[in-house]
Amino acid sequence: MVLVPHLLALGLYGLATALALAPFAGLRPAPRALTLGAPLSGATAHVVGVAQVTPVGVAPVLSILALFLVLLQIVSERVFRASAVALFTGPLATGLVGLALLIGLGPGAAPSGGGNAWFILHVTLSVLGLALLALAFITAALYLLQFRELKSKRFGQVFRLFPPLERLDRLNHVALVAGFPALTLGVLLALGYAVRYAGGMHVDPAQIVWGSFTWVVLGSAVWMRVVRHWAGRRAAFASIAGFVAVVLVYLALKLAEPGTQRFL
Amino acid sequence: MSIAVVGVNHRTAPLEVRERFAHAPREVPASLQRVLSAGAGGGVLLSTCNRTEFYLAEPSDSTAETVWAILGERLGAGRNASEYGYFQRDRAAVRHLYRVSAGLDSMILGESQIQGQVREAWEASRPQAGPVLHRLFQSALLVGARVRSETALGSGAASAPSAAVALADKIFSRLAGRSALVLGAGDMAELAAGCLVSEGVRVTLVANRSYERARAIADQLGARALTLDEAWEHFATADIVLSSTAAPHAVVTWERVAPAIGRRGGRPLCILDLAVPRDVEPAVGQLENVFLYDIDDLQAVAAHAAAERHQEVPAAERIVSDEVERFWAWYGGLAVVPVLKEFRGRLDDVRAAELERALKRLPHLSPEDRAQVEQFSHALLNKFLHPPTIALKQAAQAGRGYGLLESLKKLFGLERPDGS
Repeated sequence: MVLVPHLLALGLYGLATALALAPFAGLRPAPRALTLGAPLSGATAHVVGVAQVTPVGVAPVLSILALFLVLLQIVSERVFRASAVALFTGPLATGLVGLALLIGLGPGAAPSGGGNAWFILHVTLSVLGLALLALAFITAALYLLQFRELKSKRFGQVFRLFPPLERLDRLNHVALVAGFPALTLGVLLALGYAVRYAGGMHVDPAQIVWGSFTWVVLGSAVWMRVVRHWAGRRAAFASIAGFVAVVLVYLALKLAEPGTQRFL
Repeated sequence: MSIAVVGVNHRTAPLEVRERFAHAPREVPASLQRVLSAGAGGGVLLSTCNRTEFYLAEPSDSTAETVWAILGERLGAGRNASEYGYFQRDRAAVRHLYRVSAGLDSMILGESQIQGQVREAWEASRPQAGPVLHRLFQSALLVGARVRSETALGSGAASAPSAAVALADKIFSRLAGRSALVLGAGDMAELAAGCLVSEGVRVTLVANRSYERARAIADQLGARALTLDEAWEHFATADIVLSSTAAPHAVVTWERVAPAIGRRGGRPLCILDLAVPRDVEPAVGQLENVFLYDIDDLQAVAAHAAAERHQEVPAAERIVSDEVERFWAWYGGLAVVPVLKEFRGRLDDVRAAELERALKRLPHLSPEDRAQVEQFSHALLNKFLHPPTIALKQAAQAGRGYGLLESLKKLFGLERPDGS
């Protein structure tokens, strides 16, 4: 029962990706009902699938990350009319669900220290923070592409189909500002969980390093935007640099400690 | 029964002729009244800067001549207005209106303004339109809406002023409430400023070499007038700059505006240079968060959109053709009913007369037998009438009723003395 909803979500995310890419291949843009309906149906199936797995290990976390990315894509399109976000979130979510299925999803065991609800909340908020950081990266990339198009006076598909610069900048701002408290709460819950339930449970130093690093990166990005009033291209570069650093540090830690099962 | 269109448009008449033919709203009823008096069941006058067209229901042979006479009077000097125009009937006239409403016949392919103009023309002529044109214009508006929703004929910015709006729209998430500074008093700047104002942009400042001219335009737009030298400081605050001075060299130089732009705090500035030769030094466009576009760029945006719109023409024409047939089926049906009624009445008169004569020759028949014979005559008539009635109704539904109807009228002498 875990597999079927995930496969359904995978198919619908694939369809949503194809619909998002179609105008760039010279095809007529799909109706908005379809570009919203496909990911929304996929997310509904996905929620059913995710509800049946315990968020322990890499595969469930990848699946939850994919779900949040799709939900953020829907919100971006509905609230900000930024349908171009799907160009990134669509393939990313499809790939993440595919990877999670390859690694192997299944109803997992409860965390060793108990306190399941606390643990689930920790994972959910942390992954939401990460998804919002990814959204900030995506909007920054879209911003820079549209910026280049406008500056170089190329009036092609990017010019036509991407949202206005200011809207992308605003979406980037919102993603970072919403992501920071989510990740902060996730980290605090992890600390509380470790103290209250896990007792002598072993926590990988890599987990602590990566979690702290991600929190610092997101915090710095928010500080630059909110306190230093960075906006536009400078803020976009900062978002991209931050997200790339988070991914690279994760890969480095993963390579340094192969076989670590608990590290995400 | 027929429908006709008589008029001129941007393809058949130059601007100086179209200007003379254009009717102000207050002039429409009188011109229509003259045309209707010449013989027509209804009329609508569509008059825009690109066309003056009289749509007529059931026009007589002399109606078109009256239209040319009305337009000829506006040309003066005994010139013949019909040299500049066209006359189309029936399906071609319906197709013409549908293409106009869909933007297929517009100077800028797919422009949407025409739909509002068709609606206004219909509303202004409503008392004189009559039921057929009422239905025709109603359906024309639906055709226009259908073409716009089912094709991309109206997508993109296909004119330079609308391209200016499209470019600004790709920088700012909302144009409403943005402030614009207008440099110079050229027609193009005024036109583009009008487009921006219609999107909610506030023109707050108008600067010109001549303060008096700046003031005249500023008063029109509800803005403040400045001299050009006073304008550079305002590059720090304006969101959009529209430039169209008559200067022979660049007036917006890096030295003049860079300090002010440096104080913007990274906020984007959209500069639309509509002047030829250009007003803005290209170096200004290299400044961070400054987006500089000249008239060539606007035309490139417009040309791109126009090319994309052209790809939609076959799909739009298919919709128009479908809708013409749909209208013609309705219109054909409208004509079939009274003719069929008369046809049946005429044959029933013959049946009744012949029956009466036959019964006079058969006085020995009982009342029951007479009733049988009368029943027989009704049944025979109905049997004879059934196939042509069905064929006519089917032809009318398929939009082919008109020709059959004319044949029927001729074959059975159904033309009334009044010609209807």
